[in-house]
Amino acid sequence: MAADISTGLIAIGSGIAIGLSAIAAAMAESTIGAAAVGAMAEKEELFGKGLILTVIPETLVIFGLVVAMLILNLAKGG
Amino acid sequence: MSSVIITGPNNIQETVIKELHNLKILHIVEHSKNELADIGKPLYNAGRLSETLVKIRALIAALNIKKEEKKFEIKKGLLEIESATKSLNQEVSANLDELRKAEEQIAKNQAARQELEILKDIDVPLESLTSYKSLSYFTGYLKNNYNVKTLKEELLRITDKFMLSDNVVKKKCFIVLFVDIKNKEYAISSLQKANFTPITFSNIANFKGNASSNLKKLEEETKKLLQRKEAVKKNLDKLSIESKEFLLAADEFLGVQLEKAEAPLKFASTQSSFLIKGWIPSEELSKSIERLNKVSKNKIFIHFEPAKKSDKVPVKLKNPGLVRPFEFFMGLYSIPAYREIDPTFFIFLTFPIFFGIMLGDVGYGVISLALFLLLKKKMPKAKNFFSILLLASFVTVLFGFLFGEFFGYKFIHPVISREHEMFKLLYIAIAIGILHVNIGLVAGFINEAKSHGFMHAVYAKASWIVLQIGIALLALVYFGIISISPLVGAVFLALAVLMLLKGEGVKGLIELPSILTNIMSYARLMAIGLSSAILAVIVNDSSKEFFHKGGFFILVGVLILIVGHAINIMLGLLGSFLHSLRLHYVEFFSKFFHGGAKKYQPFGAKEQ
Repeated sequence: MAADISTGLIAIGSGIAIGLSAIAAAMAESTIGAAAVGAMAEKEELFGKGLILTVIPETLVIFGLVVAMLILNLAKGG
Repeated sequence: MSSVIITGPNNIQETVIKELHNLKILHIVEHSKNELADIGKPLYNAGRLSETLVKIRALIAALNIKKEEKKFEIKKGLLEIESATKSLNQEVSANLDELRKAEEQIAKNQAARQELEILKDIDVPLESLTSYKSLSYFTGYLKNNYNVKTLKEELLRITDKFMLSDNVVKKKCFIVLFVDIKNKEYAISSLQKANFTPITFSNIANFKGNASSNLKKLEEETKKLLQRKEAVKKNLDKLSIESKEFLLAADEFLGVQLEKAEAPLKFASTQSSFLIKGWIPSEELSKSIERLNKVSKNKIFIHFEPAKKSDKVPVKLKNPGLVRPFEFFMGLYSIPAYREIDPTFFIFLTFPIFFGIMLGDVGYGVISLALFLLLKKKMPKAKNFFSILLLASFVTVLFGFLFGEFFGYKFIHPVISREHEMFKLLYIAIAIGILHVNIGLVAGFINEAKSHGFMHAVYAKASWIVLQIGIALLALVYFGIISISPLVGAVFLALAVLMLLKGEGVKGLIELPSILTNIMSYARLMAIGLSSAILAVIVNDSSKEFFHKGGFFILVGVLILIVGHAINIMLGLLGSFLHSLRLHYVEFFSKFFHGGAKKYQPFGAKEQ
């Protein structure tokens, strides 16, 4: 499968878009997760809220994914 | 809800408590001690009740009795329960004592046996291993492959007054050495050369005679003890089965009695009167008052009034049968305040749909249906939770047909393909987001109008809708779909900003972009589904390669299919559940929901 350089660059670009946003989300989630577990140790009923708070930064990855898809679309549309 | 105050003389307090407990209608507000009135004293029998209850619960724990759903009736009074508990307690603790003693003795014998095993082939009476005035003795192991003869020769150089016996235990040379106390130092030094490690026989200090006969005796004793232990255990099992019904019923009965007896702790009381504050649902009010007046022969006074705006009213959620399980999510988050819209019905409408879009596979849906049906039977306590998931799984199957997926395999031509029509699905997800967020805004408008007046609702909530219209107009003009001046959109935008500034202040302006991120966040409906669908395809493709190779590899292929799909189902269930819930809690609730009310828990009703 032959691909020219510009297609490769587009692929790398979309990879960076999702990769970096995933790292950012992971960093945010690690802090929140640690705090949530701490809070749960004090008060067990906080499990539900803790779980929800922990997944909040996952929106970042989804933005990353959307951007990645838009970039990939460039490759198709030219 | 109506706020209720019941007051009366102390001599009918018990009657009132009994009737309230039967009614299961009054949510009691606990009185805290102040200058005017102390809290009430528990009824006269509370001490005895709690004492017996503690005993019964200890017995339930000791006899390993599991709680059952089945209800047991008890037809005994407190006195009979007390005496029955006492005798049962004596019997059980006697048995437990004996069991403990037998187990201790068995452990002791075990330790002694290990020591006797070592001394088994040495011809020294056990009573001689004690302390002497003129003799000193050593017991222990020599270094591997050290010759006992060498040790003997070494000792002979100094004295011939010693006795040395040896034996090979577990491939190591064990010795017992008696020497004159005068030669103790020398013996130690020669033993050191042999790398001697001493051992002591603390567990057989009182034994007499030779080791092997003792060993036999011990074994017999242990056998008897084990038999005894089994017998006691059987006895306890029998007791457990026999007394299960009584104990569980008594636990239940006394629990209720104690609840009644301790109720005055929540009341305000003076020397001769009591006062109960609480809440009763307005529609039940007249009936309850009538019954209370009747049992107390009109000796009490009941004051009631509808809830005021500033009151902290306990809230009872009211939803039809199919929606009720979804109240679980409100319990997890926060109970809606009185007069606020209860979002349970909205969650019932959208949660299963979001879940279904994200998981969206006929195979996965059927598997999770079966799984949750099983779990619901196994864990009746969490049945609300599993009812939600069952409904969500059912919707998953429906969306599976829409997406044409069966374990990632395209079994029918899809109405919309998750794999190939990503953008179409993305737009659908965003459209769902716009709809959902705006439903939230409308609900918020109604809430605000109720609590802060119509105009405030317009400024704080309708402004967001105006803002969206402005953005939409600008976008349509930008893409050339409609041809009006972009000024129109800009005017809408400016209007929205002004309204927000008036309604929510600077805080509202800072939050401006949040409407966009909130709506974009619904892209996860597509994203989570896409990742789950593609993972399923990858599992299928990689197993297909093995199937083509044939022979043994078919087995590997099957294994990949099972493990791969199992993991994907787990990830899919967790992801779909959390993200669907999050869309409600974060994006949807932030538009209208405040919550923070206390749950309505009437006195006498069981906690759910």
